Amino acid sequence: MRRIIVEYEKCDGCKNCSVACMQAHRKTPGTVYDLDLTNPENESRNFIYQAGDGTYRPIFCRHCDEPECVMSCMSGALKKDPDSGLVTYDEKRCGTCFMCVMNCPFGVLKADRVTKTKIIKCDFCAQDGGEPNCVKSCPKGAIHVEEV
Amino acid sequence: MNQCYGCTTCESADKPLEGFIQQLPFETSHHRVEGQSTKCGFGLQGVCCRLCSNGPCRITPEAPRGICGATADTIVARNFLRAVASGSGCYIHVVENTARNVKDVAQRKGEIKGVNALNHLAETFGIEEQDIHLRAEKVADAVLSDLYLPEYEKMKLVKKMAYAPRYENWEKLGILPGGAKSEVCHGVVKCSTNLNSDPVDMLKDCLKLGISTGIYGLTLTNLLNDIVLGEPEIRMAPVGMRVIDPDYINIMITGHQHSMFTYLQKRLTDEDIVKKAQAAGAKGFKLVGCTCVGQDLQLRGAHYEEIFDGHAGNNYTSEAILATGAIDAVISEFNCTLPGIEPICDRLHIKQICIDSVAKKANAELEEFDFENREQVTEEIIDKIVKSYTERRSNVEMHLMEEHGYDNTLTGVSEGSLKDFLGGNWKPLVDLIVSGDIKGVAGVVGCSNLTAGGHDVLTVELTKELIARDIIVLTAGCSSGGIENCGLMTPEAAKYAGPKLRAVCEKLGIPPVLNFGPCLAIGRLEIVATELAETIGVDLPQLPLVLSAAQWLEGPALADG
Repeated sequence: MRRIIVEYEKCDGCKNCSVACMQAHRKTPGTVYDLDLTNPENESRNFIYQAGDGTYRPIFCRHCDEPECVMSCMSGALKKDPDSGLVTYDEKRCGTCFMCVMNCPFGVLKADRVTKTKIIKCDFCAQDGGEPNCVKSCPKGAIHVEEV
Repeated sequence: MNQCYGCTTCESADKPLEGFIQQLPFETSHHRVEGQSTKCGFGLQGVCCRLCSNGPCRITPEAPRGICGATADTIVARNFLRAVASGSGCYIHVVENTARNVKDVAQRKGEIKGVNALNHLAETFGIEEQDIHLRAEKVADAVLSDLYLPEYEKMKLVKKMAYAPRYENWEKLGILPGGAKSEVCHGVVKCSTNLNSDPVDMLKDCLKLGISTGIYGLTLTNLLNDIVLGEPEIRMAPVGMRVIDPDYINIMITGHQHSMFTYLQKRLTDEDIVKKAQAAGAKGFKLVGCTCVGQDLQLRGAHYEEIFDGHAGNNYTSEAILATGAIDAVISEFNCTLPGIEPICDRLHIKQICIDSVAKKANAELEEFDFENREQVTEEIIDKIVKSYTERRSNVEMHLMEEHGYDNTLTGVSEGSLKDFLGGNWKPLVDLIVSGDIKGVAGVVGCSNLTAGGHDVLTVELTKELIARDIIVLTAGCSSGGIENCGLMTPEAAKYAGPKLRAVCEKLGIPPVLNFGPCLAIGRLEIVATELAETIGVDLPQLPLVLSAAQWLEGPALADG
């Protein structure tokens, strides 16, 4: 099972992981040069939290072993895939109760800003063969993928 | 430096060069591409604003404005105008020095190699003067006085130089430029924080800077240089690293200001100076062309066959040229003199001399070119180079690339030499376009960079696609250096062209890609385009003509349109 491992000491807060995530999940075709950075439809699945002491905490979905979000999901939209270990989200089954948002211990899950009817959730870049674009874009190596 | 040298170099369209760089025992820019491959997405989009201490500010859905309130459009326009203004400043510096050189030669009653060029400019400017030197001085003064006008006074030569329908358009749009140097200053002021926030207004300034850069920085730099340095003549010449002859004391030149080498290149062939080289064990001196100033010497090479060896390569070939070991000194005066040549020069004991402080390299000696003391400065430079040659040659291994490049490359193409080649007018070319034998004309110009697929990859691929579709390609800039080292400027390259263009090339014995030389010669392409439009009686946008700076690198490449 593969996980994104965060070494927050290395993070510079450049938000390149967020831009990469927005580009990876945009609905329109194109390159990073024409990605609309002001459009909330392109919002990122990860974010950088400022600790207040000049350091940063990259907040990423951990695809937890015992995922609180899955356990609190009444509609079955969130599932733990037993093979890959990833926590998957099925938008069509989502009941918009946001219990997952309430229960996520890392505070990474959030309602989408435009329709507020679904959640914004890391899918480990399934469309790119499960190689997360955020990891590829980090200039500091603060996030990496590890077999756990 | 990277630990693993061989495995991380970027691709090059020039495969022998790519192989050569891969096996080098030290790091080059081609090695560093990998280490810098993670790019900042905000920087790529131009929406990182670091103009004030509130920044850097970046635009995201949660933060659509910078702290000052600037939108993405304002931030992009400010960054763009700043880049165009600095790029324009670079070219205006070049034309200023070029005009000063013409004036100096005129005042000293020196040699006027291009009398036709002088007469043509004097006529365009409306200068009537019998004495040839006074005529040259007045031409130079006309350019200089325009450059130094304030921003609120329009430059006087624009109307005389521009194609009438274009001029009318510019006047209507209110983008006729004031004094070229002041326009740069105006642009820099305008894009500072908390001044202009109107993207359209700032982009109009970019157009203004484009006009002053195009007419003065590019077109007039060429035409002024033609007066003193001679007009281009079409001929065949060798290109690539094969031009380097280790039996000579070799000086690699980098920059954009051919005029600064006028005296030195003449002096290096004088008997007493050649004897200095012979006393050190060499046959004499050779200038090895690199970057745009090398293209300029190649273009006018018919006048300098004795001293100029040929053009070895473009900006991102410079490290490889030095790595041959046969270069004894680098004389630089402008971009593109890569900082990355410094460790290589140190390692191979290559003397670095800079003759214009704007391009002072960290480990180069500054021997500033000035008109008053140039005899003395030139002697000093020559002595230092001879000393470098004597000290280094026995300690340095040669890694020559004698097979690199091509022998029979067509060069010396200009608006004048091409028209002469066609029989004194543009009708033959127009006829070929009308008949469809040549479908159109494309300029592939500008720099080389290492990120658009690799070194010259996009430029060369684009050129191949164009000629395959019967579109003739004209080049100017480091694109020329890349394309010629890939063999597309030899008459044999006709085989890569579409059937119609191929037939034309084979009949005339020319390649499907014509090399106009340095990026400054984009100004010559503008003249060709204008004269074609005049011949047909249309405005420029009606011509089947496109221009692409496929691998543009920096500010000057944004300003030179």
